[in-house]
Amino acid sequence: MTESKKLHPLVDTTEPNLLEDTFSYDLPPLIRFDGPIVEYIDGKAIEFHPKDVKTRDIFITDTTFRDGQQAQPPYTVDQIVRIYDLMSRVGGPNGVIRQTEFFLYTKHDREALDRCRELGHDYPECTGWIRAVKGDFRRVKELGLKETGMLTSCSDYHIFHKLQFNSRKACMDSYCEVVDAAFEAGVRPRCHLEDVTRADIEGFVLPFVERLMRMSEQVPEALSVKIRLCDTMGFGLSYPGVELPRSIPKLVYKLNRELGVPSERLEWHGHNDFHKVHVNGASAWLYGCDALNGTAFGFGERTGNPPLEAAIFEYIALKGDLCGIRTEAITELAAYMRSIGLLIPDNYPFAGKYFNTTRAGIHAGGLRHDERVYNIFDTTTLLGVPPRVAITDKSGVDGVAYWVNEFFGLKGEKQISKIKVHKLARWVIDQYEQVGRITAISDDELADKVEELMPEYWEKYEGGHRRSA
Amino acid sequence: MATVQERVIAATAEVLHLDPGEIKPEDDFSDDLGAESVQSVELMAMFEEEFGIEMDEDAALSVQSVSGAVAFITKVCKEQGVEV
Repeated sequence: MTESKKLHPLVDTTEPNLLEDTFSYDLPPLIRFDGPIVEYIDGKAIEFHPKDVKTRDIFITDTTFRDGQQAQPPYTVDQIVRIYDLMSRVGGPNGVIRQTEFFLYTKHDREALDRCRELGHDYPECTGWIRAVKGDFRRVKELGLKETGMLTSCSDYHIFHKLQFNSRKACMDSYCEVVDAAFEAGVRPRCHLEDVTRADIEGFVLPFVERLMRMSEQVPEALSVKIRLCDTMGFGLSYPGVELPRSIPKLVYKLNRELGVPSERLEWHGHNDFHKVHVNGASAWLYGCDALNGTAFGFGERTGNPPLEAAIFEYIALKGDLCGIRTEAITELAAYMRSIGLLIPDNYPFAGKYFNTTRAGIHAGGLRHDERVYNIFDTTTLLGVPPRVAITDKSGVDGVAYWVNEFFGLKGEKQISKIKVHKLARWVIDQYEQVGRITAISDDELADKVEELMPEYWEKYEGGHRRSA
Repeated sequence: MATVQERVIAATAEVLHLDPGEIKPEDDFSDDLGAESVQSVELMAMFEEEFGIEMDEDAALSVQSVSGAVAFITKVCKEQGVEV
């Protein structure tokens, strides 16, 4: 079958159309929808309305101190307190980062929890994480926590091969006994459906959650069970048309709309084994999960979890507003994480040392004319990190000129032209063509050369002062 | 005193390491004389020094030929009161 061709005549103009409704630059590019998403589930076309996220109370939850600590040596108490404090600043007073979870087993765990709570922040609320063992709820209650996560693994890999249950029923009964114990202790249980993307959804997950919902009807709303969908191995897929158990749209639909688990009690927890972690989490938001669980800079078991800071920018892009979020604190949090030995790759989005640094001369040329050409948003204002160029053999005169102007802090009319940086540009090129250098040129080396080759500008713009500052 | 064209050719020869006799007014700096990106900028810097003028970067770098440079520099010299 052939379709008739649609013609697309050029819309000529002498004024650029910069699509600023979406790319306003003072915010990350907005995510705007122009209609519903349709997913076929059990033979029916089901509509989802992603525009609703603008009004839904979606939020972020954190597991930096639980899953995040499973990826590395434990944080000290002081480090946990500092990270918690910074995380609270990032999330802001409206609780965009609403909760975080703590291990509760050791003296160290409990001290960290106490000291975080002593800071008096409203958000993130501190919750616990325990094994699905009845006695553990006493500890949760004693520590004054209102909510705790508990592991309720739900794939047969876990039920039979890890937990060694003889049957699914025995497993479900065991989990439900623990949930009852939580109710008795007055603690809200958050059931972590571990390995849900590899589970028998119809045969175990839905009957289990259905039972949890029935149990929740018997207790006050504040105790009703929350459900965390744990994509433990990163098998989840956001694409339409994917089968269960890997389909995120279908998983959320089944729990949210078929079983009636309210969106505010549904949470997505992902892993990055297949490079899908962030978009999977964001998709869960769109399809009806209100909570997206992540960790600072994605540190988490194996390949990590949804990066908290990525969720923050996704949130702003979906809401079209900062909503009290302090994005600049992300840069402070990254600096702190580095200072305690965590490695954030140089090219890591939003927080890597070179996330908005270009090495290509032609890109630097674009930046010199208008930084929006090659910068994702106003990173100077939102993250305290102006776009930069790193000088290599690919930088060209444009790159060198951009570097010099950025170094001296010159903008607009005050910028030094390419013509005036020609000696420095020649030195850079000769480093590669004559000297045979194969590494990037450091800022310190360049500053030395500016002082040597452009002394009049060095004197004028107090380069010496800047370097010693 | 050398003409503007002679001075432009001499400066071009020096920057591009060519024999001045090989350079013709109609030559394109890039296509005919082989000027690379950084050499185009070095040429403009050399012209500024030779004639004691300040040139607008974009306008200067849009000049493509020797004769174009002669015309552009003559105009700038006049604007900036430099005798040539």
